[in-house]
Amino acid sequence: MTARTAADASARTAHENEVTAMSDTTPVLRLSGISKTFGMNKAVDSVSFEILPGEVIGLIGENGAGKSTLLKMLSGNYRPDAGTIEVNGAPQTFRGPADALRSGIGVVHQEQSLFTNLTVAENIEINTPAGRGGVSRLGLYNWRRLNRDAARALELIGSKLDPNTRVSDLTFVDRQMVEIARAIRVSASSHTPPLVILDEPTAILERTETEILEREISKLRDIGSVIFVSHRLDEVLRICDRVLVMSNGRLIADRRSRETNEDELFRLMVGREVHAAQRARSSVAPGTTPVIAVSELARTGEFADVSFDVYPGRVLAVLGTSGSGRESLVRTIFGAEAATSGTVAIGGDASARPSIQRSVRSGIGYLPAERKTEGMVGEMPADENLTLTHPGRAAVGPFELPRRRRAIAAEWFETLDIRPRTPERQLGEFSGGNQQKVVLAKWLNSDELRALLLDHPLRGLDPGAAETVNEQVRAVCDAGTAIVLIPDTIEEALEIADDIIVMRDGRVSGRYDLGHDDPTTLDLLERML
Amino acid sequence: MSTTVTEATPTTDAAPRPRRRIPGRHAWQAVGPIVIFVAMLVVVAILTPAFIGGGGLAIVATSSAPILLLALGQAMVLNVGSIDLSNAAIALLGAILLALTLGPVAGAAPLVILLATTLFGAVNGFLVATFQVPSFALTLGTLGIFQAAALVLSGRTTVYVSANSEVTSTLYQTGIANVPMTFWIAVVFAVVLWVMMRYTRVGRGLTAIGKNESAAIFSAVRTRSLKVLAFALSGFAAGLGSIAIIAQAGSASPSGLGSDLLLPAIAAALIGGTSISGGVVNPLAVIFGALTVALVPIASAAIGIPTQAQSLVYGVVIIAIVALTMSRNKSSIVK
Repeated sequence: MTARTAADASARTAHENEVTAMSDTTPVLRLSGISKTFGMNKAVDSVSFEILPGEVIGLIGENGAGKSTLLKMLSGNYRPDAGTIEVNGAPQTFRGPADALRSGIGVVHQEQSLFTNLTVAENIEINTPAGRGGVSRLGLYNWRRLNRDAARALELIGSKLDPNTRVSDLTFVDRQMVEIARAIRVSASSHTPPLVILDEPTAILERTETEILEREISKLRDIGSVIFVSHRLDEVLRICDRVLVMSNGRLIADRRSRETNEDELFRLMVGREVHAAQRARSSVAPGTTPVIAVSELARTGEFADVSFDVYPGRVLAVLGTSGSGRESLVRTIFGAEAATSGTVAIGGDASARPSIQRSVRSGIGYLPAERKTEGMVGEMPADENLTLTHPGRAAVGPFELPRRRRAIAAEWFETLDIRPRTPERQLGEFSGGNQQKVVLAKWLNSDELRALLLDHPLRGLDPGAAETVNEQVRAVCDAGTAIVLIPDTIEEALEIADDIIVMRDGRVSGRYDLGHDDPTTLDLLERML
Repeated sequence: MSTTVTEATPTTDAAPRPRRRIPGRHAWQAVGPIVIFVAMLVVVAILTPAFIGGGGLAIVATSSAPILLLALGQAMVLNVGSIDLSNAAIALLGAILLALTLGPVAGAAPLVILLATTLFGAVNGFLVATFQVPSFALTLGTLGIFQAAALVLSGRTTVYVSANSEVTSTLYQTGIANVPMTFWIAVVFAVVLWVMMRYTRVGRGLTAIGKNESAAIFSAVRTRSLKVLAFALSGFAAGLGSIAIIAQAGSASPSGLGSDLLLPAIAAALIGGTSISGGVVNPLAVIFGALTVALVPIASAAIGIPTQAQSLVYGVVIIAIVALTMSRNKSSIVK
């Protein structure tokens, strides 16, 4: 083990000194001229690169840049139209995911794909072949063997999870470890160094959980190589040795992490500079009525005794870890979950039982974190989604005029730069960032939007799309709408918020008015944990 | 196969090349039921040329009227992701009520019946929406209740219209193009539903519920009221069905005309392209679904298939057609 680690380390150094020259180490993976076309669309356009043993490679690009298609070719889900894939020096043709696994490539997908009603061991061993020497014979499990093999895979990645635990009892990070163990399981038994592909593993993790995962990823260096896909550029730079940038199906840059920075990566991906606009912060004029006044609100098992006011034209960010109850708080304010006690007043009109109907009638909008299930009707055209709640001038009495609906949609597509400009297409066919813009526009199309509740609005968005969403949120805020924001990161809160409240275990543990308070990230983190 | 129906708006976007959708599937959803009906008609016409000349088409349309009415109601319920197993029982109960009341209250009777059946449907919808009972189970329950009510009210015999039978029978005896008014009423109803689905806020909301109920709730669509509406429309359609039954037969009985409409009506809705998991419905296509369902037994008799084998033909044809026309736009999960 130590010998191999040393060899890997020297390989890494050699690689860093001499990228293009022939190294005596065989690349774990070498792609040459890989292409894939769907209809008229070249999703991946002659991509070539190699990965050396022990390397952690970052893969970044806007939504729709071709990352997913490329990964699906590596995992055996798609077959390339042209080009070759070599694994450990041998050319490979993957006929399916099983082939890719056998050659050592394991993918951890963005959405978790574990069977939560089965144990850790069963999940890890799900891809291993049955029969002689396998974990099952004649359709029956050999439980001892199953647990032992799973434990070995977990040990390889430095996890001490009990293979007998049910996945449903695990935290999100632990589940991610099970996914990684499953990804390396097949190659571990054949003693080939694995290549683990992590497809946006941190997209929905809280900050502290991300740090744990980062440590685990660096452990993978010792046993194999990693391709790490993420939209968080700071994270990519911290974790990876090298960053590959994709745009419009092409590989447009290959940078060593120490020789680049976030601004350069952003520019490469998006094709324009970062707009670093600091918000001018205002203070609340005395006598202003809050748009939303939350008073001693509680929901059993989630949060208790929460009070705060949100004023027109201000952004209130709610910070907290995943157990803080902040998501439930915002959903309760909107009326999607029932309050146990306390009141929510909208424009001075208090109610103990907020409902979605009432909230929306009084000008409140909610952007759910679960976009696909709660935010949009994927099989309905984008324009119909956009006017589903506030039809604006498209509605004439009980009727909705398609021509006007399309005109409204066309305007929003222009304002928010939603691509492609085909509002008549089903929303599910758009990329994540563009879907989120349509969901946002659904609320912005209100004549009288008084408050917008944003639950992880930037989750899974590429930096370009995230910036457009942020700009639009600022614009409506400047126009007098109140914003309640559940940000993905503390930085996001510090950048955009006027007020911050921090929650811990369902209670408010800190309040800051950024007009005069100046909390550091560490201050906020301390209140969260 | 490549019948183009979808509009092709030119895109002004230069950046990522938009994938144009192959129009096949959408187009098929709109015209598939018509194509299948016409194709079957052609086959029948070739095998027995007398069928078309001998007014076979009018017979098919005539016998399709009650099926069409119930299928339209069922389609509205299927569209919101539910099912109404009680609609045929409501129609039969309505027919018995109509036969009993036509004598005493004459012209007001059909209106009273429509009101009652709409209310029955609304109660189904209210229970489903409020108590979150699966519609399959709930309407199976109310099916039993309505059947029992029909048996009690009819005294298990045929109830004849005692007087004023001309109020309804004119609907059957007068017609356009040799097809009675009952069929044309159903067609008008289909057109009204089509307009509702396509051009109204209510239609948009109903579709949103069928495709993604959570997202509809989070978009402040009045999901509960709209579900009640879908079931109420099914009840209303069943009421029209009762009128059609009485118009044709002049009497009603728990085992007479209309007692076996449930499954043909579901088949007609599905052949008309209605998605069984919700979110896809085209009332105009359901017209052809109902015509097809009515055509199968009439045509197989005309061709000379022995009576004993007719339900076999019926079953095979229904399976084949549903496989051809059913919407698979939604996920592969078939409830």
